[in-house]
Order: sequence, then C-alpha cells, then structure tokens
Amino acid sequence: MNTVGEPLDRFRELARNPAAPPTGIHWLDQRRDEAAARLDRLSWPSRKDEGWRYTSLEPLRDPQFAPAAQPLSALLPEDIESLLLANGRVPDLVFANGRFAPALSNPRALPDGVWMGSLARALREKPEALKDHLARAGDPVDSLFAALNTALIEDGAALLVAEGTVIEAPIEVLYLSLEVEQPVIAQPRNLIVLQAGAQATLIERYASFGPSLYFNNLVTEVVLGQGAVLVHERLQEESRNAFHLAGLSARLDAHSRYHCVTAALGSAWSRTSLQLRFAGEGAESRLDGLYFAGDGKLVDHHLDVEHAVPGCSSEETFRGILDGRGVAVFDGRVLVAQDAQQTSAHLHNANLMLSRNAEVDTKPQLEIYADDVQCSHGTTVGQLEPEAMFYLRSRGISEPEARKMLCVGFAQEILERFSHAPLRERAERIIRQRLSRPSG
Amino acid sequence: MLSVRELKVAVEGKEILKGLDLEVLPGELHAVMGPNGSGKSTLAHVLAGRDGYEVTSGGVFYQGEDLLPLEPEERAHKGLFLAFQYPVELPGVNNTYFLKAAINAGRVARGEPELDAVAFMKLVREKAKLVQLDETLLKRPVNAGFSGGEKKRNEILQMALLEPRLAILDETDSGLDIDALRVVADGVNALRGPDRAMIVVTHYQRLLEYIEPDYVHVLAGGRIVRSGDKSLALELERKGYGWVLEEEAA
Repeated sequence: MNTVGEPLDRFRELARNPAAPPTGIHWLDQRRDEAAARLDRLSWPSRKDEGWRYTSLEPLRDPQFAPAAQPLSALLPEDIESLLLANGRVPDLVFANGRFAPALSNPRALPDGVWMGSLARALREKPEALKDHLARAGDPVDSLFAALNTALIEDGAALLVAEGTVIEAPIEVLYLSLEVEQPVIAQPRNLIVLQAGAQATLIERYASFGPSLYFNNLVTEVVLGQGAVLVHERLQEESRNAFHLAGLSARLDAHSRYHCVTAALGSAWSRTSLQLRFAGEGAESRLDGLYFAGDGKLVDHHLDVEHAVPGCSSEETFRGILDGRGVAVFDGRVLVAQDAQQTSAHLHNANLMLSRNAEVDTKPQLEIYADDVQCSHGTTVGQLEPEAMFYLRSRGISEPEARKMLCVGFAQEILERFSHAPLRERAERIIRQRLSRPSG
Repeated sequence: MLSVRELKVAVEGKEILKGLDLEVLPGELHAVMGPNGSGKSTLAHVLAGRDGYEVTSGGVFYQGEDLLPLEPEERAHKGLFLAFQYPVELPGVNNTYFLKAAINAGRVARGEPELDAVAFMKLVREKAKLVQLDETLLKRPVNAGFSGGEKKRNEILQMALLEPRLAILDETDSGLDIDALRVVADGVNALRGPDRAMIVVTHYQRLLEYIEPDYVHVLAGGRIVRSGDKSLALELERKGYGWVLEEEAA
C-alpha cells in the first residue's frame, strides 16, 4: 500500500480492502460491515481521550502496514524451533501473520466434545456454533482497533468445548509475526467458548524472529458457561520493533472461574486491554500480569472489570519492571454495581524502577455502588533496595547479576502463577535477557 | 591477614571511627566488644565494602593488599565474608539458587570450574546439617519469613559454603535463644582453622562462652581502647563498659 495520510484513513481503507471479500456468512458480514461503519465514525484518539491519556499513538502514525497477503508458506517447522518452549513440544496451533499455518502446527488428540482449530475453518464448518459469540456484542474493547479487527474477521484460534468436557493437557497457540518485504498488520481473532462445566488450559504466545516491524492487532473473546474453568496463560515476546495491541474480553457465567496470567515482555509499543464481565453469581476471576518496559519502550495495560451481579470475586495483581527510558501505563478499573452485593475485589499494581528516566503512570480505580463488599486497591513504585544489593554483592555476586536476581525475584510473585512450568521458565529467561541488554 | 591502621570513617559527615588499629593474623579469633554506638557495625560494614561510609584517613590491608578500593564482590572473591546482624530478606529469590550463584561466582573469579547441580546439592546438604538448618528452608526465598535463629543459621551456612579466609560476624548472637546460639557457635567453631581468621563483633560476653576468642578488644568512641585475652570479656561482663570508659577518660 502506498497510501499516505492520516493513519486512521489508512486503517479505514484496510477495512474496505478488496483482499478481504465478504465471507458469505450473512450474520458475520453484517457484523463486519457494522464494525467498518464504526471505524468510519470513530476519530483517532488523542491524549485528551481518557483511555489514551498516557499512551501516545504517535509511533503508529508513520509505518505503512500492509495486510498480511498470503500465508507464510515458506516457513518450515525447523524455522520455529527457537520459539518452542523448553519441553520441545510443537504448539497445537501456529499462526503466521495472523493466518493458520497447518504445516507448523501439531494439534494434540483431544477428547470428544472439543473442537479446536482455525477460526477460518470453524467459519466454514460450523458457523452456527460461532454465531452466538463471535463479535456478538460489537467490539469488546479499545473500540477503534477492535473495530478494525472485527471489520476484517477472517482467521485466528477457535476452541469450543462442550458441556462437562474436561481437557487435561494445556493447549498451546503460537502467533508468529514477521515482516516480509514491508511491515504487515496481522489481525488474529480468537474465540474461546467453554460450555457449562467444561475445563481447559490455554497457552498463548506472541513471538517473532529478529527485529521485525509489524502490527499485531488481535482480539480474543472468552465465553465461560456455568461452572466452567479456564486457565489462560499468555506470553507476549514480540520483536523489539513490533506494535502489539491485544483486546481480551471475557464473559463469566455463574460459578465459572477464569484465571489469566499475562506477561508483556516484548515489542516496542504494546497495549493489552482486558475486559471482564460477570454475568452470573458466584463466579471468580484472577488476573495476574507482569510487564517489562525496556529503554524507549511503552507497555500499557488497561483493565475493565465489571461486577454487575452479586457474589463474585475478582483479584487483579500486576507487577512491572521499568528500565532506561521505559514507559509503563497501568489503568485498572473495577466497577461494582449497586446490585453486586457480596463482591470481593482486590486490585494491586507494583512497579520496580531501575532508572530515574523511566516513567510509570498508574491508576488503579475502584468504583463501588454496592454497600456490602470487600474491596481494596493499591499501587507501589519502588527501586532496588541498596541493602539487598549489598547483601548479594557481599556474597560475591556481581552487580549486574545481583540486579537480575532481585528483578526476577520481584517478578516471581507473578511468574509463579503460571501453571505451565515451561512457560514460566521461558518468561523468566526472557526477563533475564532483557536485563542483560544495555538498551533494554 | 588483616591490618587496620589509624582508620577514620565518617557517615554523613559525622566521624564514627576515630583512628582504629587492629591486627589479625591467620588462625586467630578476635572479639570486638563495645557499647551501642561505639562503631562496631561501622567497622564490619567498612571491611565488607558497604556504600555510605567515607574513609577520611588511615587504611585497611588484607593479605597485603589495599582493601578499600575493592568492590564488595571482589572482597568476597578474595575470601572475605560478613555475617550480617540483620540478614536481608529477598522475596522471590530462591535460597538454593542464591547459594549456588554465590559459590560459583567465587569459583569463576578464582578460575575454578563451576559446581554442577549435583555436586552443589551434595555440598549444601552436608553444610546445612552442620548448622542444623531445616532443608525446606533451602527451597524458600532467601531469609523471607525465616525466624531470627533460621536467618543466623543461614548466614553461617553461607560462611560454611564460601569457606572464607577472613570471616566477620556482626552481632551474630543478637536475637538468638540459647539453643540457637549454641548451634551457631558450633557452626563457627567447626570452621575455625589455622588458615582462617575471624572477627566476632558483639555487645555481650554471652557468645564468647561458646566461641573462645584469642583476643578481646574494647571499641569505644570510635577507637580500640583496650585489648586483652578472653579474661577481658569476663571482666567487662562483671564491671560493665562504664569501667573501661571511665579508665579511658581518666
């Protein structure tokens, strides 16, 4: 694409891209069109918009992102070896620039009642099963970019688990993005639906090779039926030049449980928006987040948790490490509606500043309209303790290593929430690598 | 082994050590006693290389080398060890990982090969037994939530693993009950040897019932005001520090 001009115009043009023809599924084409129309109405966010007050979109202005044209069929399984977890297992589903790459994937055998595969195939084979969930309520989060994603829904991961079905082994999805000749925009759209009583563990990783420049604009919708349990573990290790914008929305029916551990360790500019809706009583959620903002990088997290019904609990714990001129934004909002009595909600954000030049804008907010609740929120911003540094160094440990040990120690509270050990180890290793790099 | 000469040290512009002399030879155990605020901990910290202490005059020589320009980790690599009065809690840092990193940092600095996981675990178990440290504490974060006695045992465990040439124990007896004190003292005694020197900094004589010093020094007002053998400690216990200070003033 050679179009110049305002980025929003370019995104609007993408949404009308003839390379993304109608799917032929009436309800979906309608939802896509509506999203494209929303995109036409929305304006480019400025720092005056509350949601973008601390996060500059300036870096997104210049790059001319082209839609990922064709699947990256040249990639061979050995090419992604360096991206595998230490257990050596090839992920169940691999996406390259947003499109399913069957030659790189190794879907495990799953029990009856589970449908796992690419969204493109799900749309071909069982569109009716998606209709009640996919983009049903418009755009889940971050409307401008989610609208762009919705307008071009085509592929991504789909996991549909029937009532009462339990998947023991973790399912792993790898989203690989690569710059090919010119910067690309990849837009995976993922749909996870667990019917009543179903249980699953989903691992999502976002990765690249080398210093690729691309924009990964993804949306994941999670729907949990009554009593369903989803453990959702995410690791963002994008290229150091990448833009990563993740919108995640989860809807929790009564007595369901959702535990999300998410680590944002890569990319030049990233924003993760998590939106949680309690739709039935007695549901529980835990969101644990870890981020690393290296020199010159921006990492943003937005949480929007709504307790609309009584008797639900949510716990949000985010920890971040900032180095050099790194910038982190944490905007956590928990709303407890008037009817949501017996709500428990605890929101906490802690930041470790390794440099005087780093900047964190943290805003944990509780809005409570019910009177019988247990809620708390807090935030801390601190530095490495000189006492602790001296203690380690007095034992012969070098200053850089002591620093790494204390940073990983700080991150440990979140790292240990990862249930999948190889994922936890990889996250820890990446933090160590990031700390070794002078430029962050 | 260690030669402290006319050492003057200031903290935030205030002189704490005012011309301190101390000679320690291999194999010797020196007790440095003194009232609170006399500069005992300052001496221990300056020797270990902690920031925030300004040496205004005098010098410290360790194995013939000027100690003061060395970084704390370099001092550790050369065999100097400080057992902390208040061992630092390190949440999230696994104790075994920490101990292994400490041992291997020293080995690498001395050009020795690193210990592998198996050899290290064998060693750490053996040393943990020596200080009667519950092995489950090896799997926990360093000192986090440890009792006072467990923290001090963990200090002695580190000393046993690092096998220093000069060990400085800063108020190692503080906060210990009699059983813990005995265990810690046994650990220290087991590490005494002809090549290893120790400086035991303490306020009370109590520890010296279990660890027999070759020399006892009284530190008061930033200087060593009296030195003697172990009988000096007993005299101090009987008469209190007021006695030395009065004689000094006279």
